[in-house]
Amino acid sequence: MNQKTFGLGLFIFLIIPPVANLMESVMIIHMHMQMPILVITGFLMAPFFQSKFPRFFEKWNQNGIPGILLFIIVVGYWMLPRTMDEALELWAVELFKFISLPFLAGVPLRDSWRKLGQAGKNAVIIFFSIAFITMGWLYINATMQLCNNYLLIEQITLGWGFLTMGIAFVIFLGYRFFFNPSAYE
Amino acid sequence: MIKNRHNTFASILVILFGIVLFYFGTDGFQAFTAETARVNQLMDDKPRFPDVTLEDSNGRKYSISEFKDKYVFITFLYTSCATVCPQLEMNMSKVYDLLPSKYIGEDIVFLSISFDPKRDDPETLNKYKDAFNSDGETWRMARIPNQSELDSLLKKFGVIVIPDGNGNFSHNSAFYLVDKKGRLINVMDYQEIDEAAKKVTNILVNETEE
Repeated sequence: MNQKTFGLGLFIFLIIPPVANLMESVMIIHMHMQMPILVITGFLMAPFFQSKFPRFFEKWNQNGIPGILLFIIVVGYWMLPRTMDEALELWAVELFKFISLPFLAGVPLRDSWRKLGQAGKNAVIIFFSIAFITMGWLYINATMQLCNNYLLIEQITLGWGFLTMGIAFVIFLGYRFFFNPSAYE
Repeated sequence: MIKNRHNTFASILVILFGIVLFYFGTDGFQAFTAETARVNQLMDDKPRFPDVTLEDSNGRKYSISEFKDKYVFITFLYTSCATVCPQLEMNMSKVYDLLPSKYIGEDIVFLSISFDPKRDDPETLNKYKDAFNSDGETWRMARIPNQSELDSLLKKFGVIVIPDGNGNFSHNSAFYLVDKKGRLINVMDYQEIDEAAKKVTNILVNETEE
């Protein structure tokens, strides 16, 4: 099985209502598992679109910047507390989630990532480190319930999840900055 | 160079898409949480307090028409709650104290409604009310014994209550102000005591001057 069909299969699996409901029932799984896996399915399916429409990607995403901007915008949108609530309450928003994360975030991420220079890649990771640490801080310290569909304790769990990922990004950046892999070859 | 122009154009297009997406997703950069969106929506809709039977800490039963021609300042709670509710009721009592006393009982009544009717019987409510110096008359505490009536009120006023399985509930909190005709006219942040008191006083002053 090649990765395109694997991506498609995974995508379909995630849409199955019992699977979707189960993943959405826990806040941190909703945001830090379901949503990233949806992006990954798009990432895996990307070669299909790249081979079908090579001119399109070549013409409109030659330097990778439009694609990565689209990725940042779509992922940023799904980090808002409100969008998570609405995905559970409004079917149109739920539908938009299943379309936007694979096709407007996963696909452009794959197309853009190899086109970006090292500086561009670092900028993206730095951006998400800051965003994740900020969101983590926000979710941990908000005494208010930010999402009506989840308990406060779940919100704090999600906050720690964000913070942990933010720290992992920072460690990765530090590793890249201080170590030169070729020195160990 | 031509290719670069395509890139710039695509980038601008993507940013525009982002602005539109965030604009509609947050009601024009107003509501970043569903709670803010809910409050804004309620103030636009001004739903009517449904015809439900309340049973207060003295065991009296009546509907909202008991408070006809009075404003009603409402909060929703359950007495077994150890986290938000005591804070909410404490803040409510501060608003009660901040309002000019001539209006209390005459033009405005305070009402705490329990959404846990099984445990919050009149006796329990009576004990609970004493902790907050509620007199049971100008500030009453009541339950809605009929579950389907209770649900209809919670739904209309956008109160979301999730049982956590251990006898506790997760719920959103706010001050609700119902006007003399039984319409919800304002939903206020329960942590902004002074602001809420000022708002309610203004409404009462304007009303009695007319």
